[in-house]
Amino acid sequence: MNNINIEEIVKEATLQIKDANLESIENIKVKYLGKNGILTQILKSLSNYSIEDKKRIGSITNKAKNDIENEIELKKETLKKAMLEEKMQKEKLDYSSNFYFPFPKGSFHPIIQAIEDISSVFKSLGFSIAQGPEIETEWYNFEALNISGNHPARDTQDTFYLDGAKELLRTHTSPGQIHVMEKQKPPIRVIVPGKVYRNEASDATHFSTFHQIEGLAVDENITFVDLKAVLSDFIHKFFGPSVGIRFRPSHFQFTEPSSEVDVQCIFCKGKGCNVCKNSGWVEILGCGMVHPNVLKAVNYDSEKYTGYAFGIGVERVTMFKHGIDDIRLFFENDLRFLKQF
Amino acid sequence: MKVSYNLLKSFVNFNLSPKELSDMLTPIGIETSVVSSACGWTNVVTAKILDIQKHPEADKLSLCKVSDGLNEYKIVCGAENITVGQIVPLAKIGAILPENFHIKKSKIRGIESEGMLCSKKELGLSEESGSIYILDNKTNLGLALENVLENVDSVLNVEITTNRGDVLSHLGVAREIGAKLKKIVTYPKTKTFNVSGLNCLQIKSDLCLRYIGGIISGVKIGESPKWIKDILEKSGIRSINNIVDITNYVMLELGQPLHAFDLSKLLSKNIVVRTANELEKITALDDKEYTLSSQMLVIADDKQPIAIAGVMGGQHSGIDERTETVFLESAIFDSVSIRKTSKKLNLSTDSSYRFERGVSWDMAEIAFLRAVNLISDIAGGKIEAREDLQNIKYEKTSIVLRIERVFKVLGYKIDEDEIMEILRYLGIYLQLKSEVIICTVPSWRNDIKEEVDLIEEIVRIKGYDTIPVKKTHAVCLPASQDSFICETAKVFRVKLNSLGFSEVLNCSFCEIKELEKFGLKYSVKIANPVSKENEVLRPSLLPGLYKNLMLNVSQGAESVALFEHGKIFNELGERQAFAFIAFGQVWQEWWKWEGQKINSKYDFYFGGGIIKNIMPKNFLIDQNLNPEMCFHTGKTASIMCKGKVIGQFGILNPYIIQDLKEEIFYCQIDLSFIEKDKNFDTVQYKSFSKLPLVKRDISIIADKELPFFKIEKVIRSIIKSGGILKEYSLFSVYTDETKIGAGKISYSFRLQYRDDNKTLTDTEVNNAMNNLLEKLDYDLQVKLRE
Repeated sequence: MNNINIEEIVKEATLQIKDANLESIENIKVKYLGKNGILTQILKSLSNYSIEDKKRIGSITNKAKNDIENEIELKKETLKKAMLEEKMQKEKLDYSSNFYFPFPKGSFHPIIQAIEDISSVFKSLGFSIAQGPEIETEWYNFEALNISGNHPARDTQDTFYLDGAKELLRTHTSPGQIHVMEKQKPPIRVIVPGKVYRNEASDATHFSTFHQIEGLAVDENITFVDLKAVLSDFIHKFFGPSVGIRFRPSHFQFTEPSSEVDVQCIFCKGKGCNVCKNSGWVEILGCGMVHPNVLKAVNYDSEKYTGYAFGIGVERVTMFKHGIDDIRLFFENDLRFLKQF
Repeated sequence: MKVSYNLLKSFVNFNLSPKELSDMLTPIGIETSVVSSACGWTNVVTAKILDIQKHPEADKLSLCKVSDGLNEYKIVCGAENITVGQIVPLAKIGAILPENFHIKKSKIRGIESEGMLCSKKELGLSEESGSIYILDNKTNLGLALENVLENVDSVLNVEITTNRGDVLSHLGVAREIGAKLKKIVTYPKTKTFNVSGLNCLQIKSDLCLRYIGGIISGVKIGESPKWIKDILEKSGIRSINNIVDITNYVMLELGQPLHAFDLSKLLSKNIVVRTANELEKITALDDKEYTLSSQMLVIADDKQPIAIAGVMGGQHSGIDERTETVFLESAIFDSVSIRKTSKKLNLSTDSSYRFERGVSWDMAEIAFLRAVNLISDIAGGKIEAREDLQNIKYEKTSIVLRIERVFKVLGYKIDEDEIMEILRYLGIYLQLKSEVIICTVPSWRNDIKEEVDLIEEIVRIKGYDTIPVKKTHAVCLPASQDSFICETAKVFRVKLNSLGFSEVLNCSFCEIKELEKFGLKYSVKIANPVSKENEVLRPSLLPGLYKNLMLNVSQGAESVALFEHGKIFNELGERQAFAFIAFGQVWQEWWKWEGQKINSKYDFYFGGGIIKNIMPKNFLIDQNLNPEMCFHTGKTASIMCKGKVIGQFGILNPYIIQDLKEEIFYCQIDLSFIEKDKNFDTVQYKSFSKLPLVKRDISIIADKELPFFKIEKVIRSIIKSGGILKEYSLFSVYTDETKIGAGKISYSFRLQYRDDNKTLTDTEVNNAMNNLLEKLDYDLQVKLRE
């Protein structure tokens, strides 16, 4: 017996393993490695050889045995995988068929969702969230905000007054500014989301109840530059990084300078369409530097502190974002509307 | 307000197209749009009407044959003012009219129209609609319309914020243009005159601040010249006669409302400015009678009011074709008083609109002079006498401006020179005093009252777009947590959403009648509701949710599950409430439905299960001692937190649901009761045994009247005592009394036993079960069901 024989045996076995299937591979294992297998036989016959040959042949035979065993195991793995693959293909299901789940799909109200989304953007900009009452006094809703008794905004036509009390339903979330400033000292960075009320007939863009998000920051060295930066940041995070923004001078009693902020129409990209009434821009919020009289109303030093404030119309923003053309849809609560969100 | 582009140019010299002008004004806070441009069209030519026939299908339409000199066109036209031979503007196929109106080939009532004959309105040349624009009959055919019309003007629409009454005139807009472009504005030239005073004029109320009156005699009433009519038309004011038109024209030009009376119609020589007597009546120029109150200001003769001051003149004293002597008024009235009068009488006029927003002290005099000049030029009148009564000593506002304050508010540096230049072109008079500038504000800017107003002016004219956007601002303070109530509500919202519920939002109002149905009482009533729907504030979320549910049921929904988080207003005040309502089939059917077809409706137990699933650990369900009237008295329970009832749930009272066959589940929690509970906040870990659980099922029979929670209490007490019983669950309730005996009910439990230290033997489990059964028997006479 010599080396060539062993090499031939390994070669032959390798060829057989290559063509084997899951049944024949077991036979091959028996044939070469079994109790009476070819290599086992060789090892058994070693006693007939000289010590030197014993060592030599013994080592190459053992190596051959290991090699064949490894190859068989590898092949078996491959064959098993192939078999499973075939099985899975037979079990294949139609991914496009109906998946089932016992509950129908729920939904969140688009207005609440918008408030949550906007709030989370401002939280990431370091704002905290406060709540204010919906029943207010004239002081919080008007006077503290520099809206004097003769101002047109005080007309009863627009404000719901409560029976038998000098109280009213807040017409904006701005009283939240006063509540926050009364409770804490600067620095302040807060948003106040909530319901507000206007006593007017309803149509596609007006409803007696709607939502605003008030924002307020007061500290030493807060400037118009900060206001522009925060609102630009918010708009880019909410409407997309490339949307155009326009700050337009405006007038509010409780801010000076005041501004309205327009966002480039996301539907026509500023070219002009029905949504933006052909102007290319949609107004989404009002803002400005807190009027010194407002700071004085809460006994802040209006020389030392400055601040900015803003108010976002939630319905307006939501209608714009989703292309909704009637504000009343939000309050009708038809599931065919709600389930779209 | 609509203004003429050409008239603006007579006040200030600028080189901008109408579009460029509007693009410049909007960013300085004067929202401007081009209403009609000098030429807002393309492809409109002059054409002659050759023939007119009736449209066979429509009485009001006609079929015209027109020619542009080269071709003939068949046009369907709806106007009535056309006759054969007229020259008219023809918009050909492919023409574009203002507002992006494209002319296409189209069939009108079955007949094709090869274009359109245009009215002035369709061309954007006028506000009036209806009739076709008839051109001079010597006009050549086939010419582009813009080459035929002389002096085509553009009309701009200007919208101002309530504080900028000074912009409500051509001069006012021109001043803004001048401020931005740094150009001087010129006023119309007027001749002054020297005449004697009037001794018959008297102011008897503080609501009139200044009153200039004058008598002009020898006027000839007639039609106004075209240039005046033209401006009035563009601004949407009807031409009446030359005198009235001149007062309106000067108002449009300079912003000062004027009024002209026919002096001969007054019943006395004296003219008084006074408050009206209570219930005093006046018939105004609009032919309507108004009843006045004592807060309203009037101009009156000795006998009766002749005008509602600043709002509208009286009919009786109005100018007509026989007027010869005019009494001209240029006055300043209290803006709040005018606004209140106008609101109360529901009468808003061009005059009241301007007075409400504030007019200029100095302009009253300039406008008076201007009107006298025009009347004398146009109507040939001569001023006889004039009086200027001033009820207050007017002084211009002076404000100290600190340059460093400009930087402190705006956050970026503007040169001192630039600041002064901007202010000067706004008409502000400046005096430099070491570190500050003393600014004297012109009489027309009564909105500028303090330093910060000047700062706004500076940045407004410089442009908000020049404010740098610095990305480095964000001082990220740690974001605070939502309040605990909101956090709790958020958990409810998210969990209910995944159970198939939809979130709704209702308005906070209710009708009183609507509440009665649910046995609810209101606590807050609205004093001035616009309609019955807004009578009271909702004391519960139920009426809204119920309405939503019924809407969706009526739309055919088989299953409706809704929730709402919002304020309610009850005897405890303004409260944060959370509620959900559910009706119909719980499971949606699916195609692999076999064997699982459980007819599961939102019933009392399912609803309660949802509450148990979503509520925090420190909420407990208990019996409902004071159920609200809206609940089925036998199917309700309460939700407790720290010994307080914070909510109720149950099936709605059958009285409410009426014709609905199935039950409606409702739950409302008053979140204002809950507070952060530190003990429940941090969960303390307990080690758990790795040894297996032994499960045993038992069925027991109890009296139907025995509340289930008493049985549960016994089982729980055994678990709490620390034995090997660890968990239990109810898996079946059997009520067939023929099998288990009258008045009985059977419950089946799955009990789970475990010893934390060793594997349990059967005997140990059997003993423990017997213990339980003995206790149930002893305490409640509950027996094992054999």
